[in-house]
Amino acid sequence: MCSSGAIVNLGHSDPPIKIEKAWVNDVEACHPGAAVDLYVGATAMSDKHPFEYGGGHVIEDLVRGKEVNLNATAYGTDCYPKTQIQTNLTKDDLNQFYLLNFRNCYQRYACAVNSRDETIYTYMGKLLPRMRNATFSGAGELNPLMNDPDYETIGIGTRIFLGGAQGYIIGEGTQHEPLSRSGTLMVRGNCKNMNADFLRGAAFSHYGTTLYVGLGIPIPILNEGLAKKTAIRDHEIFTQVVDYGVPRRDRPKLRKVSYEELKSGTIIVNERKVRVSSLSSLKTAKKIAETLKTWISNASFYITAPVERLANDSVFKPMKETEVTPFVARVMQSAVTCRENEKIKAIAERIVTRSVNHIIVVDDKNRLGGIVTSWDITRAMAEGKTALTDIVTRRVVTVKPDEPLETASRRMAQHNISALPVINSERKVLGIVTAEDVSKLLGR
Amino acid sequence: MVRILLKFSEALVGQPITAEIILEHKVPINIITAHVDSKGGEFLAEVPDEALEEVVQAFRARGATVSLPKLIEIDKDLCFDCGACVSICPLEAIGVDEDFSINFDKEKCVGSTCSACVEACPAGAIKSVKQNNSEIASKT
Repeated sequence: MCSSGAIVNLGHSDPPIKIEKAWVNDVEACHPGAAVDLYVGATAMSDKHPFEYGGGHVIEDLVRGKEVNLNATAYGTDCYPKTQIQTNLTKDDLNQFYLLNFRNCYQRYACAVNSRDETIYTYMGKLLPRMRNATFSGAGELNPLMNDPDYETIGIGTRIFLGGAQGYIIGEGTQHEPLSRSGTLMVRGNCKNMNADFLRGAAFSHYGTTLYVGLGIPIPILNEGLAKKTAIRDHEIFTQVVDYGVPRRDRPKLRKVSYEELKSGTIIVNERKVRVSSLSSLKTAKKIAETLKTWISNASFYITAPVERLANDSVFKPMKETEVTPFVARVMQSAVTCRENEKIKAIAERIVTRSVNHIIVVDDKNRLGGIVTSWDITRAMAEGKTALTDIVTRRVVTVKPDEPLETASRRMAQHNISALPVINSERKVLGIVTAEDVSKLLGR
Repeated sequence: MVRILLKFSEALVGQPITAEIILEHKVPINIITAHVDSKGGEFLAEVPDEALEEVVQAFRARGATVSLPKLIEIDKDLCFDCGACVSICPLEAIGVDEDFSINFDKEKCVGSTCSACVEACPAGAIKSVKQNNSEIASKT
């Protein structure tokens, strides 16, 4: 889970330093407190190897007993005169080294697909175009919160399996929403006792780094109700197939799906078979359950009662925004179009009279067939070509009206182009958005 | 067996050069994937180690381009069986066992001609590595 990290105390140097900025193996650490406390966040990325190595890897390396490099700077004070420090440390050199994760153990999560024409890279992994694959997360029937959904035994102070050691629940996790079966936990554990088999740094291509955290919670069967609740099976646990191709807060939900279907390897979306695979290790989830069982039966792990119950009615609100985000629909203009059978000369004239640089090729139902730019026309003229079919670009990069302008801007930059036809789900042309229009509004 | 990648130009598409080489050199050539149209073609094939040099030379003599694709390897020490590579594989060469271990069928994999799984792996456990004898194919 991305909302994970470790708090470390480095001890004092001589003369002492009040760290202002710090890097561990080139990964910038947060400096939330006094002189030598650092928080290494799982998603912080290495300056030298971004998207390959990050805070999650630093934590794993330390847990493995490897030496890491610390580089820190400071402004210097009368009591902390040192302004720069470089040193190498292992976990044994640290005073405290605690995993402190503010959101773990998501009760269930969405299954992700991508409706776009291009591969996208997300926190749900690599998603192939036109829904050619699907990914999901979570252990389903093995998820502790699914087995104690009313938080009868899971609360503040509950002793748990965390990263191969014993840890504790310290509260509800951020974004905890138990009523929608989307509960989360905040947890803490001593990294010095942890095992890298259950704590692994990871990198999602073109997305970022994270930390895989092994977490298990013993649920004592205190009553008949808990016996029944813990008997929950994958076919009773549902989530939604969500289109991550739409980069909005509320992404389209395509269908309801059970964890049993997700674990089968194939689901049907829009009447087509889609291969689906997990992103969290189900094999490790089973190993955790078995390890925890062994610990309890050989009396090396004692079950605790929570000292305080977790909120069972909290709601995950969206962000209050004081500025309105512009969307493509707001700036798109009507497109100048042409038909496939038109002569290049006629299109050249249209470019001049309408004073545009992009002409969109449409069929008789106004569906997108291609795009021609003034540059294409100039080249065709120079090369003596007359048929439009010889110069039209067929693989057109497009945008939908409900996408943020920011996304349109990024897409143009990625493909090094200056306009995007705006189309609907039937590929009908609704308009065009140009780099010029975008920069006017976004001011860049 | 060694995997070779053959590319044919437009001029060679109509000629039965693979069949000729099989008959002439008496070597089995197992075609794993093939994409051919009027503009040219690409084959991924398997040949016995001992016949590699001979086959590569025979294809080159007939005008085909030959290279040795890298093969995909999963480092089991780094892999933690998450499954991110499974749904991404177009050839279903990567699957999940009953106990949720990841299994990899090298026979189905087309190696570096695809490599979709390499960047999908969060553990950095999947790599494309050179085949043995790959120096033979780099000679011209």
